[in-house]
Amino acid sequence: MKRMRFVCWVAATLVIAACGSSGNTGGGNSANAYAGKTIKFGAILSITGAGGVYGPQSRDGAMLAVKQINASGGINGAMIDLEVQDDASLAATSAQKAQTLIQSSLDLALLGPTLSNSGVAVHPLAESLKTPILAVSTTGIHIVPDCNWTAANPTTTPCKYVFRDSLGEQTAIPDNIKSYAADAHPSTGVLLVAQDDKFSSDGGKIVQDTVGQYNIQLLKTIPFSKAAADLTPYVTEAVQLHPDVIFITSLGGIPAKIMTGARNLGFQGQFLGGNGFNTATVSKQAGAAGKGARSASAWYIGNTFASNQDFVTAYKSEYSKDPDQFAAQGYAGIKILADAAKRANLTFTDLAGDRDKLRAAMETVNIQTPLGPFQFTSTHDVKQTVWIIEMDGAGGFKLDHQIQPS
Amino acid sequence: MDQQIVNAIFIGSIYALFAVGYTLVFGILDILNLAHSAVFMLGAALTYSLVVNHGQPFAVACILGIAASAFMGLVIEYVCLRPLRRRQAPPIAALISTIGLALVIVAAIEQGTASSIFSWLWVDGANSVAFPAGTVPNPIWHIGDLTLEASKVAIIPITIALMLVLGYVMRYTQVGRGLRAVAENPRAARLMGLDVDRMISLTLVISSALGGLAGIMFGVALGDISPYIGRDNVEVRGLAVIVLGGMGSIPGAVIGGYLLGVVEVLTLVTLGSGASGGVAFAALFLLLVLRPQGLFGTRLRERI
Repeated sequence: MKRMRFVCWVAATLVIAACGSSGNTGGGNSANAYAGKTIKFGAILSITGAGGVYGPQSRDGAMLAVKQINASGGINGAMIDLEVQDDASLAATSAQKAQTLIQSSLDLALLGPTLSNSGVAVHPLAESLKTPILAVSTTGIHIVPDCNWTAANPTTTPCKYVFRDSLGEQTAIPDNIKSYAADAHPSTGVLLVAQDDKFSSDGGKIVQDTVGQYNIQLLKTIPFSKAAADLTPYVTEAVQLHPDVIFITSLGGIPAKIMTGARNLGFQGQFLGGNGFNTATVSKQAGAAGKGARSASAWYIGNTFASNQDFVTAYKSEYSKDPDQFAAQGYAGIKILADAAKRANLTFTDLAGDRDKLRAAMETVNIQTPLGPFQFTSTHDVKQTVWIIEMDGAGGFKLDHQIQPS
Repeated sequence: MDQQIVNAIFIGSIYALFAVGYTLVFGILDILNLAHSAVFMLGAALTYSLVVNHGQPFAVACILGIAASAFMGLVIEYVCLRPLRRRQAPPIAALISTIGLALVIVAAIEQGTASSIFSWLWVDGANSVAFPAGTVPNPIWHIGDLTLEASKVAIIPITIALMLVLGYVMRYTQVGRGLRAVAENPRAARLMGLDVDRMISLTLVISSALGGLAGIMFGVALGDISPYIGRDNVEVRGLAVIVLGGMGSIPGAVIGGYLLGVVEVLTLVTLGSGASGGVAFAALFLLLVLRPQGLFGTRLRERI
């Protein structure tokens, strides 16, 4: 009887263990299939060029996530291999690198690219090659779901393989303007917009479409080229109109140059911007001139929920510096792909099938990330809290408001 | 409008300062040194790095930045130009060679991060940075409706002084006569006992030192130092300026710089910002159709 009871106990333990294993991995067979394997992800990021202000942080965040996941046993026993390619902030280079990662490196899925300008070249390619791609910093219009949209062919057919964990400017800029309008009731504004990249010009269009809703009269839109040696003449045009707000939609160090120039010319009003503001590099370069400049961010360093605090601590330990929004999005990107891969029952023998399984699993991601609780919308866009932040004048940011997703 | 005229003069000064060194090499060698924009950037980047990352006083950093830029002139000569000259390669080969060196310099800087082998030189990668406030005293004067920043005002006398000093050196000194002899006819200069290679090296050292100084002034005045300031912000306009002024003419480079600055800003004010760049270069094209040698371009021996 004792022996019988012992056998039953062992059998029950094994059944429970098997069930537990199944629950964790998405299937006992898949767990076996994963063990000892390598899951190859690729990332096309702008490490150099205009997007080099953002790409290195995305890379560092993604690499940190890979290191953590692999150190804790990988994805059901499979190790992640992340190959990062620098697209030099050029759309054509970005597309070429993506094609190599998809067709030669045979990566399961991709992250990137950094810039929206490159996104419009890479995302349709990934869609046509049926490879999941997760945008971790592109915030322009027509990234998701209509990745094949062009002015000549304005198709709205949703792309199945393109996802985004970065907060689109279509959400961020209106939220930022709405928030500031509620706080300060500005009545006039001038828009300074870089006309030679998609991110900036998209942001400009969104500002133009939004300000009227909050009774802000746009006195003038001043387009400029990023290659202008000195932006002071453009800034002078803006300041001489005495607006309450100067809206800036541009990349890299340009917002900081505009803020410094405007303050030197005596401008005392408010700067409102987009995703281009959301890195400490820009805040540091703007210095005191940037104090109070507001933007809507996908992330805030001071958030105290565990998934953010753990990330910030680990990032500081790894790189001896503070992370920024782009690092958080890169980190979250790998966590999202890893979660989907874990549940996708990958075969490791049928790449096309595995890519499709991963895509399907990505649609149901629901995890904690440094960005907050993360899910995709039905259009593969990010569904998350928006953080309204302002530059603190010393190279950092402080939180003004948070806006919950509708 | 008054402020925009001041802006135009400041922009023109920056173009002129960059173009003086650019045109000097063309005047002597008949070669476009397209590494000049990279040396311009290197001067600014190195000076910034010495101040911010190595704790050097600005004046010391400036001297070292200019010295390093001057040394790059020797690198340009010994790596890019002299080997090709020995093989009697066509001028286009030298042009391509200097483009290659420019790409290497920019790539080295943009790879510079805290963990890279270039960390001693630059740690900010592709980022744009500015000298910390207070590094260089930069009082701002408000006179009526005008705003004048000391760092920008300073570029004007420096540019004009450089033009005058260079003009004097070229016209009235032994070195200047040697350089002009090389510009006129290198073979005849060699037969007359001149060390032509030494003269060419000297030209590149002076030109690159000027390029480095221009980069430092740009970084201080505009608060923008990145691996791309030479390539993206001034290279094409600098080229336009020396064509406008007359290839190889130092006064032409200075006048051309101011003209381009004025045309750009006046176009912005009168026709709007969208037309600014286009109209400036259309005006340049028109002038070249009417006067292909540029404003001050005459016969070779008179160019410098």
